[in-house]
Amino acid sequence: MRKQYGALVVGAGIGGIRAALDLAVTGHKVALIDRRPSHGGILSQLDHQFPTDHCGMCRMLPLMSRDSSSQYCLRKGLFHDNIDLILSAEVGAVEGEPGKFLVSLNRSSPLVDPTKCVSCGICSTVCPVRVDSEFNAGLTKRAAIYLPVPHAIPNHYVLDLDNCQRCWKCHEACPTGAIDFKFEERKDFHILVADKDPEVRAMMEKHLGESNFPLHFTENGAEAVDLLAESDRFRLVLLGLDVDGMDPERVLTRCHELHPGLPVVILTDEARREQAEELVAQGARELLVKPLRSGRFAPWLDKLYMRIMSDTTVELEVGAIVLAGGFECYSPASDPAGGNDVWCYDHPAVLTAVEFERLLSGTGPTGGKLLRPGDGKPVRSIAWLQCVGSRDVKKNADFCSGICCMFSIKEAMLARKATGGEAETSIFYMDMRTAGKEYQRYRNHAEQDAGVRFVRSRPHSLFPDDGGGIRLEYLDDEGRLVPETFDMVVLAVGARPPKGTDRLAEMTGLTLNDWGFAQTRQYSPERTGSVGVFAAGSFGEPRDISESVIQAGAAAQAASRIIKAYDVLAGIATEPEPEYPDVSREPPRTLVAICASCPTLKQTVDIEGLAARLARVHSVCKVATVGSACTPQGWADIEAAAGEFKPNRILIGACMPYAYIPRLKELGRTIGLNPALMDVVDIYTATFGGKGEDDGKAADKEIHATLATAVARLQGADPTPPPVMVDVARSALVVGGGLGGLTAAMAIADHGYGVCLVESEEQLGGSAMRLHTQLDGSDPRKYMEELIAQVRKHPNIKVFTDSRAVLSRGIAGRFRTAIASPDGVFPLEHGVTILATGAHEAKVYESGLCVHGSVMTHLGLEEKIATGQLDAGALSGVAMIQCWRRRSEDRAYCSKVCCPEMVKNVLALKERNPDLPIHVFYRDIMMPGFLEHYYTKARKAGAVFIRYDKENPPKVAFEDGKPVITARDPILREDVVVRADILSLSSGLEPNDVEDLQEVFGVEVNADGFYREADFKWRPVDFLKQGVFACGTGLGPRRMGETVASAKAAAQRALRILNAETIARETVVATVRHSLCSLCQACVAACPYGARVVDLEHGRIKVDEILCQGCGACAAVCPNSATVLKGFHDGPMMSVIDAALEEPA
Amino acid sequence: MSEAVRPTWSPKEDEYGPVLARLKEEVAACMQCGTCTASCPNGFAMDITPRTMWRMIQFGMVDAIFDSHTYWMCSSCYTCTLRCPRGLKLTSAMASLKRLAMLTREGRREGAFYRAFMDNVESHGRVQEMGMMSGYFLKRMDNPALPLRYLPLGLRLLGKGKVHLPGGGQGRILGPMFAKAREMEAMP
Repeated sequence: MRKQYGALVVGAGIGGIRAALDLAVTGHKVALIDRRPSHGGILSQLDHQFPTDHCGMCRMLPLMSRDSSSQYCLRKGLFHDNIDLILSAEVGAVEGEPGKFLVSLNRSSPLVDPTKCVSCGICSTVCPVRVDSEFNAGLTKRAAIYLPVPHAIPNHYVLDLDNCQRCWKCHEACPTGAIDFKFEERKDFHILVADKDPEVRAMMEKHLGESNFPLHFTENGAEAVDLLAESDRFRLVLLGLDVDGMDPERVLTRCHELHPGLPVVILTDEARREQAEELVAQGARELLVKPLRSGRFAPWLDKLYMRIMSDTTVELEVGAIVLAGGFECYSPASDPAGGNDVWCYDHPAVLTAVEFERLLSGTGPTGGKLLRPGDGKPVRSIAWLQCVGSRDVKKNADFCSGICCMFSIKEAMLARKATGGEAETSIFYMDMRTAGKEYQRYRNHAEQDAGVRFVRSRPHSLFPDDGGGIRLEYLDDEGRLVPETFDMVVLAVGARPPKGTDRLAEMTGLTLNDWGFAQTRQYSPERTGSVGVFAAGSFGEPRDISESVIQAGAAAQAASRIIKAYDVLAGIATEPEPEYPDVSREPPRTLVAICASCPTLKQTVDIEGLAARLARVHSVCKVATVGSACTPQGWADIEAAAGEFKPNRILIGACMPYAYIPRLKELGRTIGLNPALMDVVDIYTATFGGKGEDDGKAADKEIHATLATAVARLQGADPTPPPVMVDVARSALVVGGGLGGLTAAMAIADHGYGVCLVESEEQLGGSAMRLHTQLDGSDPRKYMEELIAQVRKHPNIKVFTDSRAVLSRGIAGRFRTAIASPDGVFPLEHGVTILATGAHEAKVYESGLCVHGSVMTHLGLEEKIATGQLDAGALSGVAMIQCWRRRSEDRAYCSKVCCPEMVKNVLALKERNPDLPIHVFYRDIMMPGFLEHYYTKARKAGAVFIRYDKENPPKVAFEDGKPVITARDPILREDVVVRADILSLSSGLEPNDVEDLQEVFGVEVNADGFYREADFKWRPVDFLKQGVFACGTGLGPRRMGETVASAKAAAQRALRILNAETIARETVVATVRHSLCSLCQACVAACPYGARVVDLEHGRIKVDEILCQGCGACAAVCPNSATVLKGFHDGPMMSVIDAALEEPA
Repeated sequence: MSEAVRPTWSPKEDEYGPVLARLKEEVAACMQCGTCTASCPNGFAMDITPRTMWRMIQFGMVDAIFDSHTYWMCSSCYTCTLRCPRGLKLTSAMASLKRLAMLTREGRREGAFYRAFMDNVESHGRVQEMGMMSGYFLKRMDNPALPLRYLPLGLRLLGKGKVHLPGGGQGRILGPMFAKAREMEAMP
């Protein structure tokens, strides 16, 4: 029977994880797959992310119902009740329709039994193979049996069959017998060879003797089919195209009819290759070209045998499919146009950006020291080359990868930091695309404070230098050719669609764009060409983390809508939360179960002695030794012991503690004990040391300490059921009726919850209504009008125009807000709030705007062109100035919309009057992603782009009421005077004034007046305050598609709360013992979640138990131990420390 | 009236208009990254960098373009065309500039070498060094004493067999190819 899921998420990178978590917390079952043997995507390789230059993935963990997902480092492991993570799996076939997709996954076996592997690493040491390590981007080598990432939990070795030499040394060395090459089953693996070539038979008979496969030969196709019909012992058919008696195509068909799934391999000669390929397309497994050589054939057959015997297919039924395949990096080495010679990529001093990240990583080849690969010399000068494989029409990359500018700045900052400022860092760029929120500030900081050098020039190629470094030449501002030598050069390689996208597209029926990424829609960037299949992360366009996370939220929202609409999981009853008896008043009785199955423990320590000593530890009622806690048998032993001794604490000593989390929950249900009173600790890692006498003692001590501290910790555990419950008011308040607000309202209303939409203007639509066209030729007005009409007639949405929210109280799940409308003030109860207050065109009263009729903003120009007020044919010249008053000291952000707006106007004018001279003055053209294509178009159309510096902006004068712009052209290095009929200014976006809303909803804004999110990268649409979300341009400058994505992502976050009937308090939260509290308020400042306030009326510190995430920062700063974290009281914590330090008697 | 005004700019649109317009179109997508200039092996000898040259075309600065001898320095190695991230046909743009410049008196003199070379190849089927050199000096027609200065070098080359006396060659074997080229060039 197919396992049912709400959604299938393909790709377990950051986008996939976010989408899966978003769906999981809303209550949907999710299958999350990845073709790699580890999750985390490219982020598993990156240790640092700007703007903090740290990792912060854990901030994506669910904040509510935290117990349903284990709160561990997300890079290490992903555990959620509703998420099944299926690794090393690829989509094999998709059938069906939205609401009921039948998906089969091909799961390739790691060939190492994860239930037996204890990650001791012996196999890897004995393996003679050394190939480039994927994790370290080729900077180090790995064996053919290896750990995909060093930090994953659970972390098991996997066998890379393609590179395996079949020496079987690992199999012999494995202490637990986890590596299974299926030697025993070979004698039952009957192979039918239907081929006329006598050489094939001779070779196979001669050379396959050792392999032990029973071989059956026939020259006749009909006979082969008869043999297959007679018996079902055959596991593989080798079918030659030259068989007698029956057409090979017919044989193949009959094979599949008789034994569906029986692998058939076609044997062909070079001449008939096409015919063989045809058969592969019809379902043959693969083709082999004759003549077959034993040296290659025997290993091939062995590996095929292992694949056939070990690989599995998983059949799923899912409501929706979210594709989060991410991107791949352009590789100069595999560029057919030759990247190796131009970029000198085979030189050890030339790295790609990912390789550089690995070099800087603590788990990288140099342990984080900046040493040059090859000669190990400390690196003192580094150059970053932007746009390698991006913005290059010759490499089919007429797009901007959008991420490289920022990661190069970050890497430069990290390099400065890693070397204590000694490394000189230079970034060679064409346009520095700092188009995101706060990106420009980060760049300014890098340039002004951190000493990163920015050079606007594109070096054409790299040359090896005698000193082991790299020489490059670039043009300086004076037009001189400057040679410079660097110790290391980092190529900021661009994004490419992930491998297999075309196949995935074929299976799911989605369309790809010119560059091989999934084609998505302008106003719903999560929707692909196929209904029910959505694009998350950077599957539709290269995106950075923040945008990927938002995009994933939008995709999750769309998938959730499908699941809801088709009622996918209606038949699946959710299990009620079990209730556990309160044992806090009972004396603790701990059952300790030690798993002794794997021989390494027995060899290192005296288990009986250990058990005897443990039995003397306080509260331990029984120490049981069980065999294989990881098997059902061992588990039954533990259950039996628990039944017999009735403990109220259970501690299991085994390996891979994280693997036991779901089992503990099950055990809890069976024996009626709260899983919070159980724990599993790792007692095996300590035994991997060596074989010496002292090692045994040390291991013994370590294992004892591990178990004893865990016993002490369990004694202090206090999972009293939460007394605070919030009945959720199942409706939402959306403030702002622009594109963001309308989209969010629709998303929530479509899920069946009421929405109250409050708009301060008299009309809905916001600033999007001022647009007339879009670059892709679509009509934004029409879209907005349709959206408004839908909102107006939606039964679940109530719209209040000319109204505002004036007061709001309460917590997530139940807010009470006063709405002031023209009809008076009325109260509203709602569970969540979404702020979509938007932004407006900045007011500029310079350069003759509002004084001269010939000066206007880009928006004004667009309107004049669209409404026909302006006859492009009658014009004799147009000038445009970008970044007018933007990106200066007081406005250190890019408005992101002006460059596309400018290009739109250029193209519109050029279309009407191709000979019209257009001059654009700009600083950096911000056209990230596929927008770059339109920039190329505008240049091709003949617009002249003149760059200016912040220090020397163009001067505008007026002659006869017409603008005359004087600016210095940096290429000619002379002043250029442009006379135009029209001067169009990019005014940029300014956030709407939300001072009142800040007060009302308790939210913050950043220095530019945009909402401050909880975390820019990982929680981009959340506020620190639970239950309040933001989207659209109020959160940061955005284009229409991005606004829609953010609105849907915010709606999905909100649905998490609305879907719950009640919100329970978490078990680990902080409380205050008021008698000890001196009201010093240190904890209020320390709380990162804003969960603490001073209650002036009662003179106490109050903790908001919904906001509190149990981090313990308050308890750490409290000088009086007045603040305590439940389950982490001082007493038990002291005994934990005691137990850890205690010398075993 | 809108125009890009520079002190040295003067429109000669009548004569060069169509060629310049085509050139403008050819380099319109240039984003001034400078790859062409940095990769040009003859760049050191140019008075104006290729990047600036494209810029001048974008601005229509005909006089400044003809004042320069940058394009005469182009040896058609195609490195810039190969490297240009915008995929522009820069080498052929340089060739267009040469053709355009040939229309001026100054240009005819600068282009003398090209014409002498091609005439020579046409009539001999290969380069006949001596004939080419005399043709070149005749076509330049600036300093009659100039050829004499090269006499010692010429004799040395002659002695080593690097230069051949007139005569020999393949005759007008390439005649049809040149005719075809002329026919193609004459086409609009």
